[in-house]
Amino acid sequence: MTQWIRACAADEIDEEDLIRWDHGGHSYAIYNTEKGFFATDGICTHEHQSLDEGLVIGCVIECPLHGGRFDIPSGKALSAPVCTDLATHPVRIENGEVFIAVG
Amino acid sequence: MPDYVPTNAASSGVTLDKKLLKQIAARSDRPGLVYLARWAAALIATGALVWVTLGTSWLWPAMFAYGTVLTVPAYAFSHETAHGTAFRSRWLNEAVLWLTSLIYMEEPLHRRYTHTNHHTFTWHVGMDSQMPFDTPMGFSGWLAEVTGFGLLRFHMAVMVRLAFGRYSDVMRDVTPAGEFPKMTRNARIFLLIYAAIAVLIAAGQLWPLWFLVLPRMLGAPVMLLFTLTQHVELQENSPSILDSTRSFRTSWLGRFLYMNMNNHVEHHLYPQVPFHALPTLAKAIETQVPEPDPGFWRTNAEVFGVVLRRSLGLSTRAPSIRQAPHMITEGGRVERIAQRTM
Repeated sequence: MTQWIRACAADEIDEEDLIRWDHGGHSYAIYNTEKGFFATDGICTHEHQSLDEGLVIGCVIECPLHGGRFDIPSGKALSAPVCTDLATHPVRIENGEVFIAVG
Repeated sequence: MPDYVPTNAASSGVTLDKKLLKQIAARSDRPGLVYLARWAAALIATGALVWVTLGTSWLWPAMFAYGTVLTVPAYAFSHETAHGTAFRSRWLNEAVLWLTSLIYMEEPLHRRYTHTNHHTFTWHVGMDSQMPFDTPMGFSGWLAEVTGFGLLRFHMAVMVRLAFGRYSDVMRDVTPAGEFPKMTRNARIFLLIYAAIAVLIAAGQLWPLWFLVLPRMLGAPVMLLFTLTQHVELQENSPSILDSTRSFRTSWLGRFLYMNMNNHVEHHLYPQVPFHALPTLAKAIETQVPEPDPGFWRTNAEVFGVVLRRSLGLSTRAPSIRQAPHMITEGGRVERIAQRTM
């Protein structure tokens, strides 16, 4: 069953940046982009690298290990070496707090 | 989890504040476009020298200058765009990768994926697909590397293989399978362009000879003297970039031609940092990395002295550049550690 869990304060994530958030043994990446806040799985689908040191470029996250890129809102793999999409997770902002739908 | 430790800052014990790293690594189109404009201006200026000296004995120095300006930045830009760091706009990055790889004469995606592998397994024997010479290096290896013919032969063999869809084990190891059709298409287009240039020359149109073929050949040794310094005489199979990789000091001209890649240790530690930000990165981590070796000429002169003495069976200790301990001997027989992979 889906649960909305508070992850962080919205102002903890700089504009055009992300943070890593771990919950229930799962790693998430939460982004503050020009199109708003989004969340995806936090680990690159290519070589199990955490994305939290990656660069946010517009609405794209670039993995720090091999430079593979994903579209943040859809999780779609955009350029090799990444070929498998990232899972995305719904995000809600309430009173300056970021909530993620998990489960 | 991957079953390997990639060679980078983490494996080398180098740290940098995450926010500062992201500031330094921020992407922009402007520095790349400014560089492109300066490169074009330098090509026009030195190309004009070739034009006005045609038919005189000044042609060869002019062509050497033009060839250096054509070849070294083409290599450097191709490298930077293979990383995807030259521009913020992806299409611009890929367009420049394609064009500069055409001059560098390597299929662009082969360039990208073998180089990704080189970063993941920097100077690891049997793993790094970009070890361009046997180590330890002797005089014949130096000569094969610096003339550019060894590299050209390798790149042309790769191009033909890709064009015919005959992918080697190394290609299959380092490349995502979905990229092969694009690589084959690129290789066929490149070969057609090179063939068209040859046909033009054979038909009596000599401008491609004066402005492309001969300058590219004359510029290759300068390009390769820059790239030779990156790992030569340093440690194989080390997880630390500080052991395997060399930075060196150079003049504004060297930094321009080589797109700041003289900061090579810093580049391998944080390959996501764009060329224009490498001096800032070098400053930020200067207390954690070895001192850069002396200038371009002195570093190369010392390397040349070492490889010559090694081939003559003499002492291989260099006066000042960094060397891995096993590279320094009092002479005698040389045991080969690694065979070139490109």
